[in-house]
Amino acid sequence: MKSRVKKLRLLLVLLILLVAGFLISLLEGPVETNFNDLWNLIINNDSTFRTIFIDLRLSRALLAFLVGASLSLSGAILQGYFQNPMAGPFVVGVSSGASFGAVLCIYLGLNIRIIGFSIQSMFAFASGFAIVSLVYLLSQRKGVFKVETLLLTGIAAGALASALTSFLIFLKADSFEQAVFWLLGSFALSDWNQITAVAPYFFLCFIIAQSLAKDMNLLVLGDDVAQSLGCPVKSVRKIFLAISTFLAASSVSVSGIIGFVGLIVPHGIRILIGPDHKHLFFFSSLTGGIVLLYSDFLARTILQGELPIGIITAIVGAPFFIYLLSQRR
Amino acid sequence: MALIEVKDLSAGYGNGDVLENISFSLKAGEFLSILGRNGSGKSTLIKALQGLLKNVSGQITVDGEDILSLKARQLAKKIAYVPQIFSFSFEFSVMETILMGRYIHQGRLGSISSSDSRMVEEVISLTQIDHLKDKKIAHLSGGERQRVFIARALAQDTPFLFLDEPSSHLDISYQVEIYQILKHLQEEKGKTILTTEHNINLVIPYSQRLMFLKEGKISALGEPEKLITKENIKDVFDADVEIRENIHSKLPEISLIPKKGEKS
Repeated sequence: MKSRVKKLRLLLVLLILLVAGFLISLLEGPVETNFNDLWNLIINNDSTFRTIFIDLRLSRALLAFLVGASLSLSGAILQGYFQNPMAGPFVVGVSSGASFGAVLCIYLGLNIRIIGFSIQSMFAFASGFAIVSLVYLLSQRKGVFKVETLLLTGIAAGALASALTSFLIFLKADSFEQAVFWLLGSFALSDWNQITAVAPYFFLCFIIAQSLAKDMNLLVLGDDVAQSLGCPVKSVRKIFLAISTFLAASSVSVSGIIGFVGLIVPHGIRILIGPDHKHLFFFSSLTGGIVLLYSDFLARTILQGELPIGIITAIVGAPFFIYLLSQRR
Repeated sequence: MALIEVKDLSAGYGNGDVLENISFSLKAGEFLSILGRNGSGKSTLIKALQGLLKNVSGQITVDGEDILSLKARQLAKKIAYVPQIFSFSFEFSVMETILMGRYIHQGRLGSISSSDSRMVEEVISLTQIDHLKDKKIAHLSGGERQRVFIARALAQDTPFLFLDEPSSHLDISYQVEIYQILKHLQEEKGKTILTTEHNINLVIPYSQRLMFLKEGKISALGEPEKLITKENIKDVFDADVEIRENIHSKLPEISLIPKKGEKS
């Protein structure tokens, strides 16, 4: 099987990139460190190096990876959901919507946890869900999605949500840094708490998505065809919309809006290994994680200070997006 | 005994009914073709029969069971559907496409079983697409694509096979080829076949019965020999034709009359 070899080769390359990415993320930072220091930590459990490597750098690298994986999985689901490879959490406005919810929660001074969910991620989920539902209703005509309508409504809804987010932030006058964080994304504030706020949901959503991968393969053919092939379209659609929004919302509530990853990664993976969602979900998640791992590495090493990671992903992603648009027949 | 019965069916898309008071039955093993002008409700009827429309009144039963009470999975074991040719954003291969027809026979997480592979091999040879197996759907011609979709519907392994304008956008050689395959399926595999069609002459030799739809109502239903008359064609299609006998099938066929005094 030719395609099997292709997938194995891709997996091997990705695993090498993953290990290398974690290594450079661990070794590079404001405090100069080298391999010996890392070795020291492993052998002697040195507490200074423990703080630097584990609590600062590893937690940050892991968070970047998890957010990248979540956004890309969300994108892979949304592209199938809208039967359109141009969709993504940023493009259809989910990210901006979720960001608004998170900021609103901060503005209102709410900070509680209800059965393990932080209220902030619930706000993010609710407003992200509202935006994507709106876009869904507006861009659908007789069961088909027109790509133009989808993109335009997504952009309009996203712009509205971002404007409201900015408004809330500037009401609190002193928070320019906050604005940058929510609108352009960053992992500068990462810690282990945030990892526990993202990891369980990512794995849960991944398992659900993977178990419905065959249904997604049918959904991309259109609702009528999917149903005639035996897919319970309505309930499957509800589940997919919920988990894709949840993935984007949980990512946004720890790292702000990071654009384009969720669009470009699944799109690129589909070109490489084909549209079968049984493999697409896994490879998109892994690749998305790696992409953000390296993007974050660049964001904190290119300049003396921190660069918002959304700048990196947009500089790489936006031209690619334009290229994809120009390739459409 | 496979049977579909339709009683007083009215259906539409939410902005008024497209179909009004449709009653008929589809008998086991028969080949029924639905003819009518654009917008007469052909596609709507074929969708309504599969429970794909929400605004439905009246009753449709498959083997005595109301289709609206059946789950998608149960209905997909009875009726397979070949939609009108459409374009794709996702480049599935021919093999992946045919395997989608096995969805209802596989578990959600199950892989391809030996009965799946046997069925897939069989439908590939029935539709003569062995040479296309590894190609992408998007790279096929219209006729090849149509055969792949028929193969997928066959892989579903159902008694009923519905096709929405299977010959549209096809060259005439492919049009005949598709109907030859359908005839073979009806005669050798005992499939009950329902198609909608534009091309009247094409379906006459293959159909046991024709249904003429006009403005959402059945205007005539019966054997081609009885239905293909000048008056019926004028009534349903608003076209002036002569009826003659096809020299091969000995069945009636229509002959268009060019209007005099008008430039073509």
